[in-house]
Amino acid sequence: MLDAIKTYLNSTVTPGEAGSQFWALLYIVAITLGISLAVIAMNWLERKILAHMQIRLGPMRVGPHGLMQPFADALKLLIKEDIIPANADKLVFWSAPVVVTMTAFTTFLVVPFGRTHAVTDMNIGVLFMLGISSLGVLGIIMAGWSSNSHYPLMGSLRSSAQMVSYEVAMGLAIVCAVLMTSLQTGTGTLSMIGIVQAQQAQGVWFIFKFFPLGFLAFVVFAIAMIAETNRAPFDLPEAESELVAGFHTEYSGFRWSLFFLAEYAAMLAVSSIAVTLWLGGWLRPFPNLLSGPAWDLAFSLIPGLSFLVMAAGCFLGTMRMPKIVQMRAQAIGLGTFGALLGLLGLVMLAPAVRDRIQDIFWFVAKVAVFMYLYIWYRGTFPRYRFDQLMKVGWKVLLPIGLGVLILTALVGMRHELLAVVVGGTR
Amino acid sequence: MSLSPFLGNVFLVDLVKGLSVTFHNQSEKERITEQYPLQRPVVYERYRGQPRLNVSPDTGESLCIVCNLCALACPEQLITVKGERNPVSKRKEVVSWTYDLSRCMFCGLCEEACSTDALELTQDYEMALYSRQGMMLDQAALEKGQAPVRYAK
Repeated sequence: MLDAIKTYLNSTVTPGEAGSQFWALLYIVAITLGISLAVIAMNWLERKILAHMQIRLGPMRVGPHGLMQPFADALKLLIKEDIIPANADKLVFWSAPVVVTMTAFTTFLVVPFGRTHAVTDMNIGVLFMLGISSLGVLGIIMAGWSSNSHYPLMGSLRSSAQMVSYEVAMGLAIVCAVLMTSLQTGTGTLSMIGIVQAQQAQGVWFIFKFFPLGFLAFVVFAIAMIAETNRAPFDLPEAESELVAGFHTEYSGFRWSLFFLAEYAAMLAVSSIAVTLWLGGWLRPFPNLLSGPAWDLAFSLIPGLSFLVMAAGCFLGTMRMPKIVQMRAQAIGLGTFGALLGLLGLVMLAPAVRDRIQDIFWFVAKVAVFMYLYIWYRGTFPRYRFDQLMKVGWKVLLPIGLGVLILTALVGMRHELLAVVVGGTR
Repeated sequence: MSLSPFLGNVFLVDLVKGLSVTFHNQSEKERITEQYPLQRPVVYERYRGQPRLNVSPDTGESLCIVCNLCALACPEQLITVKGERNPVSKRKEVVSWTYDLSRCMFCGLCEEACSTDALELTQDYEMALYSRQGMMLDQAALEKGQAPVRYAK
């Protein structure tokens, strides 16, 4: 047992590469739990941040600052009556949320949270992620069709049309990044870990490579990924004003919560693709510019310190709570939460731990930025009309993606091209 | 197409402006929601709410002299004041006073008409009741003012 843990701690490859089924299983469980926890946190954060953007307070009553609200909601959803419409196709109706959730979670098999922190390293990683996450459309169409109702059907058709058309622009943007991986070695890679290592070897995140080409590809991807996950301002399949709730109108209780879980898991998945492809994955900021042991130490302290800052924020919130009897329990709760965060931060400062979790922290921090952007967009932009959505997809993003792809290829091959031109004239 | 709107579209200037608005809205200073039962809102000085019939702070007698000006001023005619002259003090004293709060629109004309500052629309805002009967306020209710029911756990 001890040996197993020791060999794991010293390993430099993912459990999948090492062929260790036990550790792979452990990783799968940990990632599943982590994603579920992240979805719970996202639920709270989204309601809170959205409320603040609309000059409201958001959930304040269940727990300190509404921290227990997602748990209360989950409980409510679990004990809700489970309704299947009378004329629904029961088998398909039953399996649709399962398909959606499964596909959303399966994508995380290849997401590299660190060099060793991934279930496995597939040589077709990006392709695998795109393929599996596109399969989610199937679940959405199943949900819309089997509900035997107008709104879900229209919602699911919109959703599939939208996801299929944005897949094209997304694919072009991804190919740009994959092209860049081949610059130094001559052979590109689709492996998620390989892409991050290529950025490490070239000493630049791909978002800054061939400026503005890498950045443009990233922007195309960032827009396409919002449409891909059916989020505002491209949330037409769920447009409340027109379609009630889109493809999950007829769903309730636990099945509905599965759709919710899948939506947020898919958001996390596409954000982690973006982070891996353009923002250097698990690499800390400026690994080459600010190198050396001193900088390494400084950056490795950031995870723990950021948790300590969050803990301090919680204590500040406790101090600023109204000093009345009704708020005492909430103040104690917030203080306990702060103490928990502080403890976690202190554990993360320990040398053995901070070397192991550093890469996970940077990856999660970058994904968190994308999650904030999702909420920010939702709080700001009005919904697009369907023809506008299609216009943006086919007439704007697709040409830009194609152009950037061609330019990236030309710039990447400039020496060879020059040699051909010079050789031709000679 | 002129150049500057085109460039604005290319660099998504409008979207960035919108994003900055929502970002700044997150500041705590901007927040206007109150947590009502825990934090009681501060109403404006000119707010007109629950009517009250003032009594003289020294003697505890009603300031109302039954001049009927408020009842005349009321556009809804919801005030009825009846009084009779006290033969000893030669003053008019209230016999019955009713104020139908259910019809009141809080225009404040009665308050302005009152020559002795007896009738006043106070800043109390918790006036919800379970029945319309409770909104017929008599002299005792008007002088006491309506204490809001406090619900405690």
